[in-house]
Amino acid sequence: MSSRNSFQSTANRASSSISTVPSLAAVADPPPRYVDGAAMDYFVIEMVNTLRASSAVATARAKKVEQEMIDAGLMPTPAPAPPALKKEKMRDSMGSNLSLSSLSKAGQDNDEEELRARLEAIGMHVGANMAERLCHDRGLFTDTLDAIKFICKDLWNACWEKQVDNLRTNHRGVYVLQDNAFKPLTRVSGWQGRADSLRKAKVYVAMPAGIIRGALARLGFQAVVVPEVTNLPQCTFQVKLPKGS
Amino acid sequence: MPPQLRLNAVAFVSPQNHPILIRTFVQGQDELKYHYIAHTSLDVIDERITAAIASKSTECYLNLLYTMEDVAVYGYMTPLKVKIIIALALTDAVVRDADVLTIFRALHTAYRQSVANPFLRLNAPIDGYNDHAILLAAGSPKWKAFRKRVDDIGKAVGVVAVSA
Repeated sequence: MSSRNSFQSTANRASSSISTVPSLAAVADPPPRYVDGAAMDYFVIEMVNTLRASSAVATARAKKVEQEMIDAGLMPTPAPAPPALKKEKMRDSMGSNLSLSSLSKAGQDNDEEELRARLEAIGMHVGANMAERLCHDRGLFTDTLDAIKFICKDLWNACWEKQVDNLRTNHRGVYVLQDNAFKPLTRVSGWQGRADSLRKAKVYVAMPAGIIRGALARLGFQAVVVPEVTNLPQCTFQVKLPKGS
Repeated sequence: MPPQLRLNAVAFVSPQNHPILIRTFVQGQDELKYHYIAHTSLDVIDERITAAIASKSTECYLNLLYTMEDVAVYGYMTPLKVKIIIALALTDAVVRDADVLTIFRALHTAYRQSVANPFLRLNAPIDGYNDHAILLAAGSPKWKAFRKRVDDIGKAVGVVAVSA
């Protein structure tokens, strides 16, 4: 291939003429970009806190608008909603609909749900694009198990620098991925006791669950991923694929 | 002797067989012709894929699909089921597989980088059901970056053949 490597990422995009055309080899296999590992860990931890604050603001705004509508008489006072009411999952805070969010004591859980939904949405996007990147060099997937193995090995390696410790399946579309030292959870600790740390740690696995779900979605499998943390730092992800795959 | 590869057209097709982007590099020719070419290529690709599955091969590069009038059509399917189809002008020179493969990898990279943009669809639904809607948005007329990347590749191919 041509050895001339004249790629210039300049500000002269408007006049991109023949002289700044990159060589084909450079475009075909761009050098991988790296992120500092420690910075990445810190970023992910802080992201949870930031999104918690941001989702609280969004919910407060939605409640305020609702309250105004009720006061103005445009909306009837909602009866205490049944706990089984599915909460509206929004990604964009501006798009909040005036759904009957439960006014009962589930205010806390509501916030948690919002936070989890946002984290999972981000995870889905990240997972899908990581899968794209990692699939660049490999061949086609032979079957579902091959795709799951790809997730367990390549994706886990790229995101969390190890591989899944245990993969179990019931051959009917349910896979259980077990990681005995899940990287985001290795540093979680609290002074209020193990049960409390466990509860707080659950929110940190929302984004990894989203990553897995996004990668599977981009591969073509509509899966449901349920993370479970029973004792830190061990974590299991239950992946349910629809029938017939 | 460098091969005189002239890239006539490029087409990207989503996993659900919707066209994402079809781009031609030849002036004075009917663009619709390349839409038809892409459409017929889909059938040939399906055939090749079922044959590949039957023979347990995991090759992404589908090689020459067919030739027509003045173009040779090559296909490539990514592991994520996005199909890339290119039409090269027929020449008498030998076309190396490695060259065509490099072109495909460059196109795959361009596509991948464009789709990774989180601002592509701001109000994307959370569930992945409409994933292909995001892919389609990458090729829509409002989103110029993808087209520009593909154009760059087209120029790079032309330049490679002329120089060296």
